[in-house]
Amino acid sequence: MGHSKLLLAGVSALAMVCIGLPAAAADKEIVTVVKVTGENWFTRMEEGVDKYGADTDGITARQVGPAKADAAQQTAIIQDLIAQDVDAITIVPMDPSALEGVLRRAMKRGIVITTHEADNLQNTQVDMEAFDNHEFGAHFAEQIVECMGEKGQWTSFVGSLGSLTHVQWADGGEEYAAKFPGMELVSPKNESFNDANRAYEIAKEILRTYPDIKGFQGGSAIDVIGIGRAVEEAGLEDRTCVIGLGLPKDTGPYLETGAVDSIAFWDPLDAGYVMNILTKMTVMGEEIKDGMDLGVQGYNNVKVSAGPGEGIIVRGQAWVDVDAANYKEYPF
Amino acid sequence: MTDTTFGTASRDRENRFTQAIEWLARNPIAFPVLLICLVCLVVGAINPSFWQVANLFDILRASVVRGLFALGVLTVLAAGGLEVSFASIAALVMYSVTKFVVNYAPDLGILPILVMGAAGGTLCGMLNGMLVNWLKAPALIVTIGTQYAFRGIVLTFIGTSLFMNIPVSMDAFGQVNLMTITNSSEFEVKLPAYVLILVVAACVTWVILNRTLIGRAIYAVGGKPEIAERLGFRVPRVQLFVFSFAGMLAGIAGILHVSANRLANPFDLAGSELAVIAAVVLGGARITGGAGTVGGTMLGVLLITLVNNVLVLVGIPSTWQTAILGGFILFAGLFFTLTEKK
Repeated sequence: MGHSKLLLAGVSALAMVCIGLPAAAADKEIVTVVKVTGENWFTRMEEGVDKYGADTDGITARQVGPAKADAAQQTAIIQDLIAQDVDAITIVPMDPSALEGVLRRAMKRGIVITTHEADNLQNTQVDMEAFDNHEFGAHFAEQIVECMGEKGQWTSFVGSLGSLTHVQWADGGEEYAAKFPGMELVSPKNESFNDANRAYEIAKEILRTYPDIKGFQGGSAIDVIGIGRAVEEAGLEDRTCVIGLGLPKDTGPYLETGAVDSIAFWDPLDAGYVMNILTKMTVMGEEIKDGMDLGVQGYNNVKVSAGPGEGIIVRGQAWVDVDAANYKEYPF
Repeated sequence: MTDTTFGTASRDRENRFTQAIEWLARNPIAFPVLLICLVCLVVGAINPSFWQVANLFDILRASVVRGLFALGVLTVLAAGGLEVSFASIAALVMYSVTKFVVNYAPDLGILPILVMGAAGGTLCGMLNGMLVNWLKAPALIVTIGTQYAFRGIVLTFIGTSLFMNIPVSMDAFGQVNLMTITNSSEFEVKLPAYVLILVVAACVTWVILNRTLIGRAIYAVGGKPEIAERLGFRVPRVQLFVFSFAGMLAGIAGILHVSANRLANPFDLAGSELAVIAAVVLGGARITGGAGTVGGTMLGVLLITLVNNVLVLVGIPSTWQTAILGGFILFAGLFFTLTEKK
């Protein structure tokens, strides 16, 4: 009696292991690698990644990233993931060109590679962009031009000249504003190094150098915070137009005082979710077609074009404009 | 021009050059002064809007955090060590203290917050000093290690996201102004009161280095540690003191950074180390220790901040700004080594 009970337990345990094993093996593991862990932006993205994992059967989705925004540390993490032999890696590169080598190695090992914010990257199968970066920059400039009454001096900021997307926004804005003869771009593409204090210092220097300046286009998400502070301290809230990428919670106080007029962003939650959708489709060998509806707001009619390498670029129209009236609707 | 006149003229010129170099070597403080004047004249000639009070205010304001760091580096450097963990100490202290106050004592006044910052910084500095003593390793290596450790601690255990809702007292302190001027284009320029903290810190450092026994011990240990030990100076105690003092200044600098910036971001201040060390060296402190003055250091800080704050004014495109800054430090550093060799 005792023996048969033991045997039964043993057999059922073995059976459970046997059932469990293939199920676990069939689960495809998609890892999202971000620029840095813990920034509000990527914390919000992680919500999207987790949501996708919970919504989708047969997929384990998780997000990792370095503690410091550093291209070398990001490379090390990807090397680690290659060694772990995950099924797919989807990356928001710190410096796209620095990752070419390690991504090529990963793809040779049969790991699916997709990216976000890196439409110049060669070694990727799918690059997802929330929107066309030139259009996004033009979108900022459109608001700035209108706010300035189509004339006056304006300037642009970038997190760093190595941040491709920031440079594309600045260029897109510049091209748009060039259509208006009254608009004079001064000291373009100031580097804030993602530091609000540096953005503040440069903004003050610009206010001194060009006392009549009216427009500021922010690049990195904290540029508008630094610019806003400089504008507020100078008492120029009503005379200037400060518009750029920003996060509602961080920029809120400056939207309230009018030092920052309007911010735009794409929702990192949706971006994380869509990156994983596209990655899963690639893992499963499904074709991503032009005009497809991915079932997420802003990605209902995606544009597919050829990338610089073998891969494709998928673009949505997913920007969100926010000002003092509605920033509270976005809790991040 | 004949050979003889050419020869005399060039020998004269060489003599005068040598004399100038020797004079500079005797008066190292003249070097940053000369460079500051030179930069001001050049920038002022290119863009006359350089000559306005607003600019002076901005440079003073931007000098505070760097200046506090530099005073700490000077003290450690004078004792023959090199300290590079100050920015990480500041980040750790400012973020932890701000977060603690926001969560547990949001109504705390600025004075206790500053004391907490100073105490936290001192503790981190003491750790540096003890490690240098125990490990008998070069201070540079130890502080490179703790630089990463402190930053890792803040990001792993304290938090990584920036927040804007800093304590009211800190926000208010950053907004207190000594002077407000409305300039010609009708915007206000302000000289923040926290500039005074740098003035006080510089005076305290001067007194310690020049008027106390520990000050004499610091220079002695930095100059010739073996001889200093034989003379009865207790080297480990001096080490512990200089690192604790540098840590304290870094802690205070961190609190000021948050107050001025009106947000707490644990990623801030990283990468500011080399500019601070450059400022101290430009101010006449020898990188090998045993020398350096508070006045020179403050001028070095002013010089670095000045160059950092006029590149837009001069119209240098942003692609060139860091390169120009680097070239400037290199040039100045080379010139300084030249005077030292003579």
